[in-house]
Amino acid sequence: MSSDSPPHPAPSRSGSNPRDLREVALPAGNHASPGPEPAAPPTGRTATSLPAIVARNVAFAFGTGELRRQILFDLSFEVASGEIVLLTGPSGSGKTTLLTLIGGLRRVESGELTVLSRPLHHALPADLVASRREIGFIFQQHNLLEFLTAWQNVELMFQLHPEVSADQVRDRTLELLTLVGLAERLHHHPSQLSGGQRQRVAIARALVTSPRLILADEPTAALDSQTGRDVVELLQWLARTNGCPILMVTHDHRVLDVADRILHIEDGRLQA
Amino acid sequence: MTAPLPFQAPGATPPTIPSASVLRRLSPTLEIAWRQLSYHRTKLAVASAGVLVAVMLMLVQLGIREGALENSISIARRVQADLVVTSPRTRTIFQSAQFPRRLLYRLQGHSAVQHVQEMYMGQARWRNPWQHNEHPISVFGIDPRSPLIDFPGYSDRADELLLADRLIFDRNNRTSYGPVREQLAASGPFETEINHRRVQIIGAIPVGISIVSDGNLFLAPHNFQRLFPDRSPGAIDLGLVQLRPGENPELVRRELLSLLGRECRLLTRQELIDAETRFVQDSAPIDFIFGMGAVVGFFIGFVVVYQILYTEVINHLPQFATLKAMGFSDGTLLRIVYWQGFILSVLGYLPGYLMALWLYQIATRAIQMPFSMTWQRATLVFSLTLLMCLLSATIALQKVRRVDPADVF
Repeated sequence: MSSDSPPHPAPSRSGSNPRDLREVALPAGNHASPGPEPAAPPTGRTATSLPAIVARNVAFAFGTGELRRQILFDLSFEVASGEIVLLTGPSGSGKTTLLTLIGGLRRVESGELTVLSRPLHHALPADLVASRREIGFIFQQHNLLEFLTAWQNVELMFQLHPEVSADQVRDRTLELLTLVGLAERLHHHPSQLSGGQRQRVAIARALVTSPRLILADEPTAALDSQTGRDVVELLQWLARTNGCPILMVTHDHRVLDVADRILHIEDGRLQA
Repeated sequence: MTAPLPFQAPGATPPTIPSASVLRRLSPTLEIAWRQLSYHRTKLAVASAGVLVAVMLMLVQLGIREGALENSISIARRVQADLVVTSPRTRTIFQSAQFPRRLLYRLQGHSAVQHVQEMYMGQARWRNPWQHNEHPISVFGIDPRSPLIDFPGYSDRADELLLADRLIFDRNNRTSYGPVREQLAASGPFETEINHRRVQIIGAIPVGISIVSDGNLFLAPHNFQRLFPDRSPGAIDLGLVQLRPGENPELVRRELLSLLGRECRLLTRQELIDAETRFVQDSAPIDFIFGMGAVVGFFIGFVVVYQILYTEVINHLPQFATLKAMGFSDGTLLRIVYWQGFILSVLGYLPGYLMALWLYQIATRAIQMPFSMTWQRATLVFSLTLLMCLLSATIALQKVRRVDPADVF
């Protein structure tokens, strides 16, 4: 039932709009066309593509003068496209701060940080906003708009991409919600959904516009172990099939096995 | 490809897909704004009610202010003469000072003047024949054969009015004069006393009262003399001057002034209306009282809308931060909140407008002066409502601007 019933004949249209469907190939699509790069082996780093994240001696501090408190020291690492990288470490170690820097939510103060070929260390606020539009964010809390249905929450993301036609928006929204198993709950408001279902809507929302990088901050923290596991497997499956790199902050030992690599931060420094 | 599909629903029925709404075609941010507001129906109703009260207050206060003013100068508006002669001591035609009739007659010698007519005005005491008490009433004496003033139906009764002690009642007079209209309709002309003189009321015509006068009576000049035996017929209150067709009142006035000297003023019709307006505004505090009512209405609406928008913004701060983090610009969030202000003004304005129409009817009956809606006032109040809502949105937005998208992690 599952993989041989395509929710939509979307791949046939993928050529018409490069923005749409570039990254996220669908289960059905993988049957039909093994062609484009997304179907490349998930862990294999395609030598030709640039790394999604390049950090060189990144440091960050809050406050100034006497109150200055350094959070991150001299971080250097890379995340290749298609990689799933977990970021672990005790609370206060600076994981989330690093995530906000990569997400373009804070300015890098020293060092160099290039995300999706965009140097963020001397980016203007408008550049940061543009960068954020290419990233799929998944938060610890689902942060869905409670006055919008699951459908509307996901569809909302296309307001950032007005070039996508209404038909494509509709197809794509349905695809993603079907993919996360909520085809039966399209018109429920978040208050009518369980915690796991909300988090899955949030995942669909993060992925619907085919981001080139996914940043997730403890996506399983608010979920019971089984739901948490399911959510992480869904993310893993999406990364494998689409070649979209994922950087995930987590405390959750149950999910460590999905990672290609684990970066451990302690006191603002990367541990080998 | 054997990747597991963790959440694939088995045997899914084809879901219903919503089609793009009308709102989205207008503006996608309008659609979000509406969905956010309409999610909590009660809150939306309360907010709209707040705007409604403000709209109603503004419309009613401004309406009464304008109506009181309009009604007070309605006699001046009815003047049809090109020029009007008054005493320089006259501030309003309801409390006029007299000037010599011979000065008016001088004007007849000028070639541009076709016709002059004197008008007498005074305050008399009307005896209410049903309750046997007395009420002051304004009396207007003018020739009923060809009056240079528009008293509808007055000249139709000219023959009767020329008889002694006959006069005509204003259909719009206050009810404190007694059931005059009913009496006229039931059994025709009847007798009462004015200034202790027995007179006959022969009918009623619709002219209109004001805040300076509770009631009007109209009669021929010689009957006016009978009611006011102390007044000399040579001392008149208003001189009406009709010019020959094609004459320019402004030009002629300059020539006529030399005939009058300093004992009279010569006004155009518009100047008379302006002078009356000024008098009412200066002497009665209606501008202040009703203007203040409108201002209070504005601030009530402002505070209510601000409270609603502010709490909406505060309650949705995490979501707004999320939207910002995901790449929505400040401008998008700004538009959402401004659209909400717009929605609230429309939702409050429409019922507020209808209620104001209803209150105008009640006021018309209670105050016995006509109050009506003008499109200028409707537009003005809608603009004020919009201003009020957008202003509160602007203040509420300060919070949104300061939202740090990094806070969502």
